[in-house]
Amino acid sequence: MPPRLNFWSACRALSVRTRALAQRPQPGPATLARGLADNTSSRLPPHDRSGALPPSMLPANEQPTSPENEAALNQLRLIEYGLSPLDPAVEGHKYGLPELPLPTDKHTKHRYDAVIQQITRLLMKDGKLAKAQRDMAMILNYLRTSPPPRLDPSKPLLPGAPPAHHLPLDPVLYLGLAIDSVAPLVKIRGFKGMAGGGKSLDVPMPLRARQRRRTAFLWILDVVNRKPSKGSGRTMFPHRVAEEIVAVVEGRSGVWDRRTQVHKLGTANRANLNNEYVKGKL
Amino acid sequence: MSAPSCLRCLVRPSAGVTVSSLPRSSPLAVARAAPFSTTTANLRPKKEVQTGGAPKGHVRSGKMLQLGKFKKGKAGDRGRTPAPGERKAYRKRITLSNDNAIPVPWLTDLGPADLANPANTARIMALPTEVQDQLRASEAFKPTQCWGMFRKPAVLVRKETIDMANRMQNAADKRHTLRLVVSGDKLTGKSLMVLQAMAHAHLNNWVVIHIPEVQELTTACTEYAPIPNTDPVQYMQPVYVLKLLQAIRRANEGVLSKILTVSAHPELSQSMPPNTPLLALAGAAKEPDAAWPVFQALWSELTAQGANRPPILLSADGLAHMMKVSDYRSPAFDLIHSHDLALVRLFADALGGGLRLPSGGAVIAATTRSNAPRTPSMELALAQREAEANKGLGGPSSSGAVEVPQRDPFFRGYDDRVEAVLRSVQVLRVRGVDKLEARALMEYWAASGMLRATVDEKAVTEKWALSGGGVPGEMERAALLTARI
Repeated sequence: MPPRLNFWSACRALSVRTRALAQRPQPGPATLARGLADNTSSRLPPHDRSGALPPSMLPANEQPTSPENEAALNQLRLIEYGLSPLDPAVEGHKYGLPELPLPTDKHTKHRYDAVIQQITRLLMKDGKLAKAQRDMAMILNYLRTSPPPRLDPSKPLLPGAPPAHHLPLDPVLYLGLAIDSVAPLVKIRGFKGMAGGGKSLDVPMPLRARQRRRTAFLWILDVVNRKPSKGSGRTMFPHRVAEEIVAVVEGRSGVWDRRTQVHKLGTANRANLNNEYVKGKL
Repeated sequence: MSAPSCLRCLVRPSAGVTVSSLPRSSPLAVARAAPFSTTTANLRPKKEVQTGGAPKGHVRSGKMLQLGKFKKGKAGDRGRTPAPGERKAYRKRITLSNDNAIPVPWLTDLGPADLANPANTARIMALPTEVQDQLRASEAFKPTQCWGMFRKPAVLVRKETIDMANRMQNAADKRHTLRLVVSGDKLTGKSLMVLQAMAHAHLNNWVVIHIPEVQELTTACTEYAPIPNTDPVQYMQPVYVLKLLQAIRRANEGVLSKILTVSAHPELSQSMPPNTPLLALAGAAKEPDAAWPVFQALWSELTAQGANRPPILLSADGLAHMMKVSDYRSPAFDLIHSHDLALVRLFADALGGGLRLPSGGAVIAATTRSNAPRTPSMELALAQREAEANKGLGGPSSSGAVEVPQRDPFFRGYDDRVEAVLRSVQVLRVRGVDKLEARALMEYWAASGMLRATVDEKAVTEKWALSGGGVPGEMERAALLTARI
């Protein structure tokens, strides 16, 4: 509906209104009298009888009552002077704006820790990621509720690891520490037919962090899949994995032997890195 | 090699078994044992086989072609196989404390009046040790609940809790029976409400009889037998009742040892003179056959007129299983209605108001959403009771909006017996917690070291919104049971 052009609407446009209208303007007497032709008694609203105008139609000469209203008026005055009093980080946002740049864990696709993300996908079977994520949550829960590991000094964890009794309260760190500690540094790559007599030449190759974690966790999964489960139900697989993680941290796991074996082989074959053919290939 | 012995047992000298391994010492004994047997392998004592160095396994092992596809998996030593029931016990085991969790200093134990005190709204309070034991004895804790994550079991006192505890207390004071059905969406804490009701009852020295899973009674997984001289025939479930008696005995030891019997029970095999403690009566059943008479005697003692008895709390979880036709069959191979099972009938009568508890008390049943058969009558009756209650509360403005649902005239799956039971119960609908309660929960989690985040208004609002308006189970999923710790 187009705005009515009359004197009062012009007044309203001039006045500064900081509050919404309390009530709609009273309908005119003609509207009320419509259809009531037989009714001879007066139906005019009381304020019309007294001759005063409805309060909502009066110009805004009332004093602001609340401090918020005062602040809002001040802001409007500042805007009038061409200043910008509104801080977008504060105004109009219930909890403020997020700090930029966004931290990585605020991104949907990177919301989990890097190790957790990689290992969840290694746990996955038949493309069932949601199940793998539930399993991962159960693994972490098991680590939180199991007693603190008794560390084995002959199987040292990564340098800088927190004391054992800190680990259960930070299960992500616990899991990451176990996997990083048992991860091999190298893999053995065979160059076919280079050792003479058709034998392959074993050459140690360095691994990146992600590759190292993958190798270590696949070793752990090998052990887990060979273990019988104690109970039944959906917690069994995650609990077996978690038990093996605890075994790794406590130095009881057979995965440490595999790591030692690979490292020994790598040390024994490190001279092969000087092979002319291999040098050209690397 | 002696020819007669070889001829007698018809063994071919070449076939896998060397003749030297045959029992030479007593050929007569072999002949006597099985004179016409051709199975020399069975005749041989095993020790001699080992000493003789005879090959094990198949006779042609090593010469047979093994295709890769059909190769048998390595039969490695898998260790001791679990005993029957052991795997289930492992699955169902309940841990109530986590030594890694940080003890929360401001956590106080529940007192007798705490659950009914409105000042405790939105506070976490711990269950005292003896109440823990009592609740554990009556299987009030469930393995899917997160008890195992915190130092000691604690509960959130919600508005609904206080409402319920006050209703219980009023009923007990006036010697009435509160008949209440706790209903609500999935994971809203219906079982926890029953647990809190039980805790309140234990703290106030009530007698608590709890059926942890009603489905154990009606899905035909426990033994049943007709009770003689009943018309229509009722059925007892002796094994379950024995288990229930033992649970009652362990959970209510303190209360039952102070109550004395008022009448002799000649129908029992043991002599129970009057003024025997009820604890002895509850322990009278040693085997399933005696369980049902003992339970009846115990119930009649607990509800004896004139004697000063404590209030009774009858509670059950999984009401829908009680409100359906059970899976049991009568001798005529008809399905038995659940209300014809004697124990279920007792509970249903108490819930329906047919069975009065002379010293007052409460009958509280919780519905289940995840594991529940479809029971149209129960759903309809609960919706009706709720609508009626809202109508009573709302006054003239809302009475037009609230309409009491009626039966669908084109559906015939309704059950009159169920509706008769639920005609006058009260319904307590449990919804999500409000933000104050959510904040209390999250602060407790953070103080226990299980939630590694700052608990401020933003975090609380985030989890509250993520959990569908503060559904506590969903809040646990969003904040506690996640890989994003």
